[in-house]
Amino acid sequence: MRLSNPQIRIGSLLLVLYYVIAAWLFHRNGFEHTEALFYAEKLKLLFEYKENTLITLGTTFPTTMFIGAVFFSPFGFLFAPIALTIVMMALLFYNMVVDLSSSSLPVKPLLIAIVLLFVLHPMFLYAAVSGRNVAAIMLFFYLLFRSFFQYYRSQTTYYLSMASIYLTCLIFTEINFIWMLLSFFPFVVLISIEGIKVAKGEQVVFQYYQALNNRSLRRKLANRTIALYLILFLLPLGAVYLYRALNAAHAGDPTYFLTSQYANWRVTGTTSLNTILDNMSGHNVGKQTQIVFQVFTMLLSPIFIVALILFRGRLYQLFTVLTPLIFFSIILVDVKYYFTVEYYIIINVIAIAALTFLGQERGSSSFSSGLIVGGAVLSIFAGVYYFSQSNDPEERQYYNVATSPSKWLQPKVNSEVQMLAEYIGSIASDKRPMLIDDASAYGIIAHLPSLSGLVLPVQKSFVTVIENPMLTVHYMCVAKKNNRLHNFTVLNAYNVGIMKDRIGLTPYRVYETENWIIYSIR
Amino acid sequence: MPVCALNNMIGVGLFTTGKLQEIEQIANDYDYAYIKAALNFGFLTRKEYVAFLDRSGFPLIDIRAEVIDETYVEQCDLQQLNAYLFLPVRSDGRGTLTVAAADPMDEKLRSTLEIKFNTKVKFVAASDLDITWMVHKLRGEFYVKEAVFSLMRKDPESSGLITFTDPQLLVIFAFIAMAFALLTFSFVNIFIFFNLFFSGIFLFAILFKLYIALKGSRYELHETVTKDEIRAVDNNTLPVYTILLPVYKEDKLIRKLIWNLRSLDYPRGKLDVKLLIEEDDDKTLNAVRDLDFPANFETIVVPFHMPKTKPKACNYGLFFCKGKYLTIYDAEDVPDSDQLKKVVCLFRKLPRDYVVLQGALNYFNKNENLLTRMFTLEYSYWFDYMLPGLQSLDVPIPLGGTSNHFKLDKLIELGGWDPFNVTEDADLGVRVFEKRYKVGVVNSTTLEEANNEPFNWIRQRSRWIKGYMQTTLVHMRNPVKLVGKIGWRGFFGFNFFVGFTPITFLLYPVLLSFFLVYLIFDLESVRVLFPDWVLYVSIFNFVAGNTLMIYLNMLAVFKRRYYELILFAMCNPLYWLMHSIAAYKGLWQLIYKPFYWEKTNHGLTKMSHSAAATAANANQA
Repeated sequence: MRLSNPQIRIGSLLLVLYYVIAAWLFHRNGFEHTEALFYAEKLKLLFEYKENTLITLGTTFPTTMFIGAVFFSPFGFLFAPIALTIVMMALLFYNMVVDLSSSSLPVKPLLIAIVLLFVLHPMFLYAAVSGRNVAAIMLFFYLLFRSFFQYYRSQTTYYLSMASIYLTCLIFTEINFIWMLLSFFPFVVLISIEGIKVAKGEQVVFQYYQALNNRSLRRKLANRTIALYLILFLLPLGAVYLYRALNAAHAGDPTYFLTSQYANWRVTGTTSLNTILDNMSGHNVGKQTQIVFQVFTMLLSPIFIVALILFRGRLYQLFTVLTPLIFFSIILVDVKYYFTVEYYIIINVIAIAALTFLGQERGSSSFSSGLIVGGAVLSIFAGVYYFSQSNDPEERQYYNVATSPSKWLQPKVNSEVQMLAEYIGSIASDKRPMLIDDASAYGIIAHLPSLSGLVLPVQKSFVTVIENPMLTVHYMCVAKKNNRLHNFTVLNAYNVGIMKDRIGLTPYRVYETENWIIYSIR
Repeated sequence: MPVCALNNMIGVGLFTTGKLQEIEQIANDYDYAYIKAALNFGFLTRKEYVAFLDRSGFPLIDIRAEVIDETYVEQCDLQQLNAYLFLPVRSDGRGTLTVAAADPMDEKLRSTLEIKFNTKVKFVAASDLDITWMVHKLRGEFYVKEAVFSLMRKDPESSGLITFTDPQLLVIFAFIAMAFALLTFSFVNIFIFFNLFFSGIFLFAILFKLYIALKGSRYELHETVTKDEIRAVDNNTLPVYTILLPVYKEDKLIRKLIWNLRSLDYPRGKLDVKLLIEEDDDKTLNAVRDLDFPANFETIVVPFHMPKTKPKACNYGLFFCKGKYLTIYDAEDVPDSDQLKKVVCLFRKLPRDYVVLQGALNYFNKNENLLTRMFTLEYSYWFDYMLPGLQSLDVPIPLGGTSNHFKLDKLIELGGWDPFNVTEDADLGVRVFEKRYKVGVVNSTTLEEANNEPFNWIRQRSRWIKGYMQTTLVHMRNPVKLVGKIGWRGFFGFNFFVGFTPITFLLYPVLLSFFLVYLIFDLESVRVLFPDWVLYVSIFNFVAGNTLMIYLNMLAVFKRRYYELILFAMCNPLYWLMHSIAAYKGLWQLIYKPFYWEKTNHGLTKMSHSAAATAANANQA
């Protein structure tokens, strides 16, 4: 079975259509991910504010998601991140199916497995409809490892360079993946020994023994290892250094792009372990320990186990397939927050890459085909299990919406931030401005029809205004004590109390939701 | 059997019949005198031959010191004089014409000349090199003028005789005047504009290079001609191959040159090797004379004429070439032994519109010092990645200085090299493209000697950069016409690859110093010129540009497994500063001495010939 390019394109377009409908359903049932709202709000600032464009566009960690979403902004700021993730998922699907032609395994079961995963696997669906960076991580992760596997086949430097570029994109999608550089070490060293062609056909240990005990070979081995490392890592590390330099020059802090809640959603978006342990719901967090986590992620991805069963290749290729597990070992050294779906889903992605490039039939053809399709089906169930046990409130919300089909076509449910935005839109104007801090209220701002009538931190006057808001603004949007983002904003319940004492602020509550209060202060 | 000196040498046991038969074949094929074939195709040493003549009663006369009656010389064509190695000296007034000949025992030549001059001929023996020197000096004027002016006559638009045309000068001065006027009007804003504009160009040019290199890296292991194809070649079907060796004061390299030529896997009789030496270069001529083993090249003496450039010498050499294909090597070059066969195979495989094939160049003395390492990195990415990348994009390929293999008839059709252009090869690459022919890349390498001395390096590089400027000016005289000839893709490819190269080198120190002055001194007056967003863009361009250039250099090590050089790529910013020095020197010379050929000294390496040969073998393996 061989699919033509137009057929694959049509398949990808159908997938886009499917995801758009799914995204619409999730949206009308009140599921909006805060990361997507964060990008939407930044897009709004970028296009609707003339002040400090550079802060918004440049110093804000230039994630592939944010930059990519800029191109989709004509579809609406709120939809742009989701449109981007849908397109990225379709691109991933396209690439995976195109690559099937180079597989030694039968194409049909692989194609069925991929289609099943993209259509039914809850993690894949979540990646497409959430507007989060998961889709970008999947795409670049796949392209990165595909480049490695293609390099193993052709030994052409082009693929190493492409791997380096994709690695840079991956790191600029999620900075935590910078630690993956360390997990490359085992296979890079093994490729090096392969490349110097010592004791060909012998065991790797013997090859090492020979290489390390000969001065010339030792030097060659070291040089090749360094060369491979440099060619892989120079671009990503150079890019990170570049943004540190830009941030140092522009924001006065080299890590601004990582640590500022105005620049990076991660700062406010991740749920700390303490918070999870305090409000325990879900069980996945308990598996975030060494060894257990790796086993757990593998169990949640039976297709990865199938890929290992059908794997046939050299030791360095095996280590390449196991890279995500080594990567987990590294990031688990200092766990600070709950690992969400992106860390689980990459196992599925590398499984497909490994099946495509390194898989070979075992036993009969139907046995291998059955394994592949069975692995994909089991992975879908495992995905459902993951969401049912997730400790992330937004993932739980996604699960609740997905598992309540009876509610899908009921009247649209407005989210809390949507309701707040509607209210603010009705009262704030240039004559009666509102003080609002997008460090935590980005979701509200993303939903506002326009930015007129708002005083935001991106404006130079913000610092003056917040000293004595009564002089300038009429309203304040304040995070309540129980708000998850209470500590990330200056406009919180605690500071309102201080303002009352210090400047005699007399706030009148005009609108209140579970997490927010809007005060009239004049 | 011909009656000649060689025949007589057989008689006294100094030569063999077998060799003479081979020589006879070559002499007939090339229409040469027997002695010329024997001395130039590696059958006989000059010293042996001179000793034999002496013993046979033909001591050599110093023909260069003799009084020559040019009326007889003028009756002879240079091609004939050069091929049969004779020179009419003067008549004794009693019906005998004295003729200096390399082979005074050649009876066939004697009878030919007696019929031609209708007088009795008396031969005196003279060195073949001296005769060559004399005949080219006396009869080479027409040819050398053709070599200099033929392109200008046939295709004046492509000639670099005029460096700046009037419209170009107008544009340049108008641009400078406008820049000054605008700076006077609003210094800060215009300064910011120029700063961003040029740093943008700088980054874009580097990104473009990276893109091409990545494209090229896809073909890293692609073998356009395989070893099996080479093995399958039947030597009898190979055409005559001309090798031009333009040299100037390279006396120390002549021995090495012969060894390198000997290692070429090509039938001896089909290698038409021309050593092109300048009229005033007695050093090289004497080095050839003093060889104590047979030479495998023919010496051509290029008569004095300005400009004294390599392309002029090559154009002159073209008049004497016999091959179907032609290539150029420098004296110190060590080509892969199968390079010529590979080229023949590839030309046979490629469509007819491919008229030039460029071989890769690299260095045998790469580990000599930092400069040679940097040079090796640069050449590796250039020839191993950039050229295949350019070929895949179908944009003009600036040819390298040597190891470019031409179809001779097409080269002549193109008008040869531009003698006024100091990177005549790059210019020719563009002209090939303009005439809708194509340049290919052959998977064979020639090892050269990397320049290991900074001042010598700057001299060489300033000529190259000046040549790129010249080439840009020549082909951009009429941009609209150029687009018509090479299309938009070719136009942008040419400008970013050839035109922007000197510009980036010229801009680099300017942008760097502005930036460093700001960063280090943080002067109030400078700060005004770097508002936040300008600083942002400047830092981005500076860091990204340098990182990408380092990356590009790092890529270079993979194909040839020069892994030990990878860390030296970090020194690229310093290497670029050296380029900048050379670029400013080149710019200065472009204005004041546009045709001046900044000579590169070769033979400075301390690497022995055997080490170079080892490097060549390793490279070929």
